[in-house]
Parts: sequence; C-alpha cells; structure tokens
Amino acid sequence: MRNRNATAYRFLTPYLLIFAVFWVWPIISSFLISFQATRTVPWRFAPAFNWGRLIGDPAFFNALKNTLLILVIQVPVMIALAMVMAVLLNSPLLKARGLYRFAFFAPVVVGEVAYSAVFRLMFNLNFGIINKLLNSVGLPSIDWFSNVTPAMALIMIAVTWRWAGYNAIILLAGMQSIPEDVYEAATLDRVSKLKQFFFITLPLLKPVIVFCLVLSIIGTMQLFTEPFLITERGGPGGGTETLGLLLYRQGFRSLNFGYASAVAYTMAGLAIAITLVQLWLTREKQ
Amino acid sequence: MRITMTCAALALALGSAPAFAQSGEITIWSWNIAASSLKATIAGFNKQFPDVKVTVQDLGNQPTYDKSIAGCAAGGVGLPDIVSIENGEAENYWSQFPDCFVDLHTLGYTAQDQAKFPDFKRTELEVGDKAYAMPWDSGPVAAFYRRDFYEKAGVDPASIKTWDDFIAAGKKIQAANPGVSMTNADFNGDSEFFRMISNEQGCAYFAADGQSITVNQPKCVDAMTKVKEMKDAGIVSSADWGTKITNNTAGTVATQIYGGWYEGTIRTESAGESGKWGVYLMPSLTADGPRAANLGGSSLAITSASKNKEAAYAYLKYTLGTNEGQITMLKEFGLVPSLVSALNDPYVSQGLPYWGGQAVWKDILGTLPKVVPSRGTQFQSDAEIIVRAVQTKYLAGGYADAKAALDDAANQIAAATGLPVKS
Repeated sequence: MRNRNATAYRFLTPYLLIFAVFWVWPIISSFLISFQATRTVPWRFAPAFNWGRLIGDPAFFNALKNTLLILVIQVPVMIALAMVMAVLLNSPLLKARGLYRFAFFAPVVVGEVAYSAVFRLMFNLNFGIINKLLNSVGLPSIDWFSNVTPAMALIMIAVTWRWAGYNAIILLAGMQSIPEDVYEAATLDRVSKLKQFFFITLPLLKPVIVFCLVLSIIGTMQLFTEPFLITERGGPGGGTETLGLLLYRQGFRSLNFGYASAVAYTMAGLAIAITLVQLWLTREKQ
Repeated sequence: MRITMTCAALALALGSAPAFAQSGEITIWSWNIAASSLKATIAGFNKQFPDVKVTVQDLGNQPTYDKSIAGCAAGGVGLPDIVSIENGEAENYWSQFPDCFVDLHTLGYTAQDQAKFPDFKRTELEVGDKAYAMPWDSGPVAAFYRRDFYEKAGVDPASIKTWDDFIAAGKKIQAANPGVSMTNADFNGDSEFFRMISNEQGCAYFAADGQSITVNQPKCVDAMTKVKEMKDAGIVSSADWGTKITNNTAGTVATQIYGGWYEGTIRTESAGESGKWGVYLMPSLTADGPRAANLGGSSLAITSASKNKEAAYAYLKYTLGTNEGQITMLKEFGLVPSLVSALNDPYVSQGLPYWGGQAVWKDILGTLPKVVPSRGTQFQSDAEIIVRAVQTKYLAGGYADAKAALDDAANQIAAATGLPVKS
C-alpha cells in the first residue's frame, strides 16, 4: 500500500513542484511582503505601514465602492437580461434559433482588447456613433470618458454586452432540462404563461441562476480588463478604478509591492466572505 | 593554466577594444514619435558603427513602463539593451531597482559629458555619484494654434497674454468656427493643464529637495482654479492622446497646449494641414507673469541585463550626445534637444514651411532658460493618480474651492508617501 502511494506521488511530483513554486510560494511570499515597508530599498518589517494605510486610504475605499457598485447594479441587470434572452430563445415561435444562439454567445468569443478598442471608438465624444445617435434624436452628447457617472455606466454596459449572452445560454440549457409535462399540467389547469414562468420556471431554475450569479460575482471581483482598456486605467481620476486595478497600480506603477500585497489579501478575504454569505443564503432548506 | 591565461588576455583585449570596433545587436524600447525619432538616427549611427544592428521597438508609453518594471522585478529577464524613461518617473526606478541599470560612468560617461546637459534635466537621473541615464529631450510648453480659425474670429495670438485672454479668445473662436473647440484636455487620464500652469508659476507636487509636499501651495491653487474656469467657460473639450490627433486632423480644435515635442506629432500626424498651424507662447496668470513651463521629456538608460553595453553606450553617445543625432530627431519628429550645444544649430533659427514659415523652434527654445525645475521624485506616480482623482472631483463641483481640493490631495499624498505637507 505504501509503495503504491509512493509511485503515485512520484507521478504527481512534476505537478506538485509547479504548484509549490508558482502557487504556494507566491501566496506565502505576498503575505510576508504585505507586512513590509517596500517604498525604499532595503525593505523593512513594518506591519502598520501597509495595513494601517489600507484602513484610511481613500483610494482603497474608492476602488472598493466601485467594485461593489458594479456588483450590485450590473450583475442583477445582466442576469435579468439574460433571463429574458433565454425565454425568447426558448420560444417555439422562434425561427433560425441556432443563428440567434450563436449571435448572443458571440461577444464572449471576441478578444477583450479588440472589443475594448471598438467600445472606445463607439463612445468617443466627437466621432463616436453612440453620441451621433443621441444627437439624432435630439439628445446632447455625453462625455463618456471624462465624467465619473457616464464612465461607470459605460463599464457596466460593456461588461453586460459581453457576458449577458453567455449567461443566457447557460439559463437556456437549464430551461430545456425542465420536463415538458409540468407545463402541460399547468396549461390544463389554465395557469397563465406569466404565472408558469414565475411559479414553475424560476423555482426549478434556481440552481442554474445561483451558478450564473456565482460566476458573475467572481468575474466582477476580478474586473480588470474593461476599466483598464476602455476607460484608460480606471479613469477619469480613479472613477472606474476597481480593486484589481488598484492592486496593479500600486504594485506595478508605484512599485509599492507591500501595499499591493495587502490589497490582494483584502480582496481574497472579501471574495471568501461574499461566497460564504451566498452559500448561506442559497442553502437547501430542510 | 595556459588556456585561462589566453582567455584572460582575450578578455582584456576585447574590453579595451576601441569604439569603432563595436559590433552586435542592440534593442531599444520606446513609444510613439520618440521611437520614430530614434529610428531616424540609426542611419547616421551606422555610418560610424556599421557593425551594430539597432532595433527600436515602439511599444507605446504605458506598455514600455509595464514591461520594464516586470523585467527589472524579474532581475533583468527579457529586458532590451536600452529603455526610455520619462524624467518624472525616473527616480522610482533607481530607488526600487538600483541594480537594474548600469552606472554610465563605468562605460565612459565623464563629468565633461554630463556638463553638456542642463542641470534641470540631470537631477532626476543622477543619484549620489551614479548616473543611471542620459538626458534625451525636454518639453518646453507652447501653444500650437490653427491660424485660419484664429483669423476667422479676428483673434491675434500675440494679444493672448493671460489665461483669461485665452478664455475670451476661445469664446470668440468657437463662435466664429462652429464645431471647433478652443482646446483639448485629457480629463480622463491626465492632469496636463494643471501641471503646465503650476510649473509655469513655479509650483510642483513636491519641494525641490523632494522632502515635502507642496501641491497645495498658493500658486498650485491658482493653477487649479484656472483649469476649472477654462472648463466651465466651455472652451475645453476632453480628448485623450489619440483623439487630440484625430481632432487636429479633422479640424475640430483650434489650439493644443503641450510640450515642444508635440510639434513633431502635429507635423507628421496631420501632414495635410501644412501651413495652417502656428505657435505662440503659453499664456500666464498675469499679464507680466512667466510664460515658460516644461512638460515631459525623457532619458535613455542602459540595462544591466544588456549583453552589449559598450555598443549601447556608443549609440547613446551618438544619438543624445552629438548635435548631429539630436538635430536629426528635432528635424524629423520635433524632439527638443537637451544637449545645450544643439540649440545653436542653424536649423533652430530656420523658418519652417509646415508652420507657415514661422521659426517655431526659436520661439519654443527661447523659453528653455526660464523653465523652473520641477522634480518628479520617486512618488510621482502615486501623487499623479491622487491629483487626477481630486481634479476630476473638483471639476465636477465636489469641493468648495481649489484650495480645499488641493489640501485634500496633499493629505492623501502624505498618507501614501509618508512625506510631510509643507505649511
């Protein structure tokens, strides 16, 4: 028995080595670095330097606020939108269903850099099509990139555009696994379509919705690309800076690795806390 | 034993080889027209050093920093032989990665060579007795304007002496030229107007010795107040680097205020507008106030990871340390020489066809001696991001006045850097 284990571990060695060097060590190392003052060489041990700053740092709370704002507004809107799309896709009246499914899913396939560049052009103040459309219906141009609220809205629009279809496809798969006879029985009892949706589809779809929510929340906690590329590194003036961007900026622009590590651990703690709350809220009731 | 001796002798011979025997390949990271101008000097360099192959990679401004930092943090892995560093960012590198770059003295950079560059370009590049980089270009600020738009509104650029004049002229010009903005500012990702006016007035984020925070001093407050007045007057529309260029070419902006290096950007990116553009001095806060400031300007450093340091140094010495190299970059792409002797080159006093025959360099370079040094310090990028956030909030009406805004900025910078706020 012991021999068999040894053989198994020998086969696992390459993976375990890589895991130790590239995962375990950085996790420990960054934890240690978070207790060091890294503004000047040589680094020195000073726990209050980074953690003390974190508690009172407006930039940290700004990034936290932005991240949570996206979480609270964008995620529910996107899931609701995905639900509508899934219901429409599931409709027997729909022709060319495959084409629509592909079209809704396509944004995920587009490269992040490419779609960010296109969004920057579309929302350009003077030359973008969005402002031209607004003007054509008599609305004034919006300076999307230079004011905090429009910039935030822009990030939410972009993320929703990219991920709503993806969630719709997951929800659609869930809907199609609901047995047809439940609906037939409901129809025989003269339950309206709307009521069928709220009292049959939604409850039976709950595990799938939770799955989509978990994925989206994790994605939002890690949100980086869109504010990095579309609003130019969290602009204007940190108005769309997320926790991921703050970490990046502190670590790789200001070369303040200690503080970046402290932010990273705070993010991880936050993600764990949110996940625990979520698991508790969606637990199966006995 | 004999083999070792031969090797040692060979190494000695190679080490002391004369400069003309340089060979091999060197790679440089840079951005935008700065990269283009480096490419323009390769031909001249190769006349003296035919065996050195120079490759300039235009990575873009931010990616150059990102990749350089990643390379330095990884102990030099993947770094090229030469990297471009803006003076304002430079001290952060030396203080965090003192071993990532070569002390140029070890390659033959003498005190005599150093004295060929002005002091305000050298302070950030030299720490103690080490010189980490060679000064490249500087950024004396100027106003680049569209002659036709000004004429149509009956505005004489010579009459614009103060920023208030600029605002009044802007209103006239915008009224006479529908669809045209007086000027552009990058309110999304920069604070260029605040920095330019502050520097003009002799105020900076940090004190000259780098030991205290001065961003809330009265002159900086005046500068920030004026930025808001300009925005509120509706004469500034927002545009990032790329959109500014689009506006220049599309004819939707009347004035761009930037460092002298912008001459090359306008001339090469908007080549079709030849003859329509002109230059005047940046306005001041008062009619007799200073009208000179510096924005940007870079340097070149040789990495410790370079396998060809002698060849890299030979390239720096030719490109940055000779009139020929510096004037090539000025001619082709408008990079303003830091090399003092290059300012006396005949090209500088020539009228240039693109600028309607105006001798723009005479005007722009004339301001250089009046520029007040503004030290970046190693905390520049921290301070800059805080100032941008405060500026955004202030412009949106989030503070009672500029003084309150900059007091907040100063306190935030103090919390982030540990430096005291100067009272």
